[in-house]
Amino acid sequence: MVAVAVHLPLLLMQLPLKSYDTNFHIFFASHYAQHWFDPWNPKWFAGFSQTTYPPLPQQWTAILSWVLGLNLAYMTVQFVGILLLVVGVYRFAALWVSPRAASYAALASVFIAAEGFLVYSAGQLSTTVAAPIYLNALPFLFQWLRHGSWRSFLKAFVLLVTAAAAHHVTLIFGSVLFALPIIALAWMDGRDSEDSDKVSAPALVVRIVSIVVVAGAAIAAVLLPFWIGLIRYPVTQTPIAHASRANFLLSPEAGINYFVVPYGALILALPFIVIRGSSIRRLRPLLLGFWATFLLGLGGTTPLAPVLLGRSFNVLTFERFSYWATLLCLPILGQVIVEAVDRFRLKALIPIASLAAATCALAVAWSTYKPADASNLNVDSVALWLNRDGHDHYRYITLGFGNKLSRLAMQTNANSVDGESNSARMLPELTQFGGAALTSSKYFAKPGLDSLRAMLNHADRYGLKFIIVRDPYYDPLLYFAGWRQVDSLDDKTITIWSKDGVPPALPMNAAEMPTHFQGLIWGTLPVGFSLLAMLVVLLPEKRLRPEHVTDAAYTREHLVSGGMVS
Amino acid sequence: MSQGKLLATALAVTTGLLVTAGTLWPSAVAASYSGGKTEGILSSTSTPEAAVNDLTAQLKLHALAKAYSGLANKAEFSEADFERDLLGIGLSLRTYATLDSVEVRPLHQSNTDADLTMKMHWSSVVGNFDDTRDVHAVKVGNHWALNWPLKHESPVPPQVIPVNYLRWDVIYRGAGDDWGSQDVEAPHVRIVDMHPLSRAEGVVVMGELLNEDVVPAFVSVKATLVTKAGETLDSEGSFDMISHTLLPKQVTPFIIHFPGTDLSKISTIRMEPTSVLVAASADPVVEIENQQYQEGSGAAVTGQLTNQSGHTVNVSHVLTTFYDANGQVVWVGGQYIDRALQPQTPVDFRVPVPQDLAGKVKSERTVVSTYIQGNS
Repeated sequence: MVAVAVHLPLLLMQLPLKSYDTNFHIFFASHYAQHWFDPWNPKWFAGFSQTTYPPLPQQWTAILSWVLGLNLAYMTVQFVGILLLVVGVYRFAALWVSPRAASYAALASVFIAAEGFLVYSAGQLSTTVAAPIYLNALPFLFQWLRHGSWRSFLKAFVLLVTAAAAHHVTLIFGSVLFALPIIALAWMDGRDSEDSDKVSAPALVVRIVSIVVVAGAAIAAVLLPFWIGLIRYPVTQTPIAHASRANFLLSPEAGINYFVVPYGALILALPFIVIRGSSIRRLRPLLLGFWATFLLGLGGTTPLAPVLLGRSFNVLTFERFSYWATLLCLPILGQVIVEAVDRFRLKALIPIASLAAATCALAVAWSTYKPADASNLNVDSVALWLNRDGHDHYRYITLGFGNKLSRLAMQTNANSVDGESNSARMLPELTQFGGAALTSSKYFAKPGLDSLRAMLNHADRYGLKFIIVRDPYYDPLLYFAGWRQVDSLDDKTITIWSKDGVPPALPMNAAEMPTHFQGLIWGTLPVGFSLLAMLVVLLPEKRLRPEHVTDAAYTREHLVSGGMVS
Repeated sequence: MSQGKLLATALAVTTGLLVTAGTLWPSAVAASYSGGKTEGILSSTSTPEAAVNDLTAQLKLHALAKAYSGLANKAEFSEADFERDLLGIGLSLRTYATLDSVEVRPLHQSNTDADLTMKMHWSSVVGNFDDTRDVHAVKVGNHWALNWPLKHESPVPPQVIPVNYLRWDVIYRGAGDDWGSQDVEAPHVRIVDMHPLSRAEGVVVMGELLNEDVVPAFVSVKATLVTKAGETLDSEGSFDMISHTLLPKQVTPFIIHFPGTDLSKISTIRMEPTSVLVAASADPVVEIENQQYQEGSGAAVTGQLTNQSGHTVNVSHVLTTFYDANGQVVWVGGQYIDRALQPQTPVDFRVPVPQDLAGKVKSERTVVSTYIQGNS
């Protein structure tokens, strides 16, 4: 109910629409809504495959959009993600701490800044949907590893595959960071339990291998078009700068954006989390998992991420590691809150609640203080212009439209050579220089402007006739490169430039175009598995002996240094 | 110490050590967000080069106030002067340029002072430009600071400048004819010279285009390379290496680059000039003064541009055609002027020619394209 009270109004206000990536997800969803079995989308990059990005949240947005419209459908999927997070955190935390501490952890998940930051500022729908599904899968994974329950195996399996269908980065990195502490816990509990309930090391290994093999095979099948694309066209483009890779001490602005805001008051709790997590033996795997993820989330502040991740460091963004770190520490935080409340009652409860509210408020408000470029731009007039008088026979790009690039792409029939999906683009003018979307070229300095110049130089090749400019910074380049201003919109705040002699745009005969079979897989398996997951989790679970103990076992007088509590 | 305390301590200490290491010796990627100083917070100005690096980092971050505060000779000029020197007066390429990199070359050093050359590579919307400064470093206590060689650029005093220039206006059909489907014949333009050249980086096609008409034209040139088998090898346009707006009887040079192509495989070059009638005026008049060709190492045409009009020209592009003894085009070069052309204020330009072609150059001709904000 708290999650509903906090997040439902914000989502009904459609606050995420101001974020960086929300329009990107809605754009993908709009394509699925119209071309469910054809993931080839001609609207960006002169044509690109949407199989370069796992589809589940966008596909559910598309399905719901048939009833609710795209914006509200997005908010609904995001809201489900938030609710799943609360449930997932409770179930995950209950593996480690008492039900009461798990309840506090679940309550805290409503207020964590990392969630607010990703939902309302970053707009990372896939990350914030995939992680909760993983969290819900982990208790089943634990039961399988610990007790060999086939029903748990089945539930863990479908949920893991469903989570993988939601986000690839969470699959590749997040799932490992979440699963390792669970494996360690299963091993510790199995080793230390009574004889009848012991799990031998070989049995544990067999169970791990079996779930990895079966789930891995299913994930390979469900995301087959994604893997085919990745293998045939690996991401070799020049890395694009992202401030989450900065050293947060040397670049304080990045530190505020990617450390202070996403962690909020949790920063104050970090010492207590480390102390309590290390003092209770059973929590140590979780603490170590949190610590490793936390360090990775610091980006370039420590040498760990650059050394461990190698080239991936220059491709990944690290705000999601901070998000995962936050989720991993919530069970310990719940335990810390229980102890604080038991000891200090209201004197602890009031400041904790206040800090939680302030943390959430800052993260939610951050998109207002640090808005994405062009967050308030209305693109209706531009879409109307592109849709009339045959202008949509040519391709276009925008300059200075920020995250409204996706919104415009949804509203116009015209196609663009620009786009926001960095991993999907194949045009050499876009991949060789290290700039992101052309519309934001100037923010990427030389790489971005080199990329823009290369694209303008090859305008004829792509039927690129129109440039819609909202930032006069680019005017000199267009003027000297042979473009003429031919129209203006919205009281001349938007100008339209044209190039003479450009041939109409032709469909690109790209090798990356998915086959019909791939489109069929893409349109059936991800959503199919999510439906299967919904059915399977409803199967009644065999009652297993709880691993955790009561709060009393965690209280100060019961703690024995280095001793096992549970 | 208990295992728990030991673990907590180990985690805290390891975290501290890792953060310390990452801050003292940041990775190149992490350092790039803080101005590129890979020395991290250990960075000091203990050498003249380090002082230049420190200044470079501040300039990359656009922290001009901090950069100014670290100068040894800051008492000689104000922070506003320093900003004007770097960003220029009025809107120009410098206004939004970002410092990409700096080459430092020591010239001389003693225990108390040093001379260095700083070649700053700036990135602007139309391309890169360089700014070379000879800086004098002095030792102040145990660190080095720079004497910034300020280039004074004074605002133009208030005055009245009479102008008398030709201007062509166009009356279009109406609002529906807004993007090029004109109901008038395109101005007559003609390529008067075209000459392909094989270079190490590929083929270049250069020449000159004449507006034969009595009305202004907005022109572009596209070249298509056709192989001996009749296949199209590549097609490129002149992009910004042409003066797009041509007044009647005006000639512009053009050069088109085909990187990675081999001239021996080409049988035909198909040239496609395009022209559209546009409104135009002879204003602003930019006079080219003291133009001269400097031979030898670093051969180039140098001179000065003087804006004779009353407007500030925000961006200007100099295009020079180099001819051989037979009057054939040898090369076409260009340079953007990074500072705005204030009325009646001369600004230097320099258009280099490739060293291997420099010996063939017997004459040259320079034209200037201008951009004035709001007049496009």
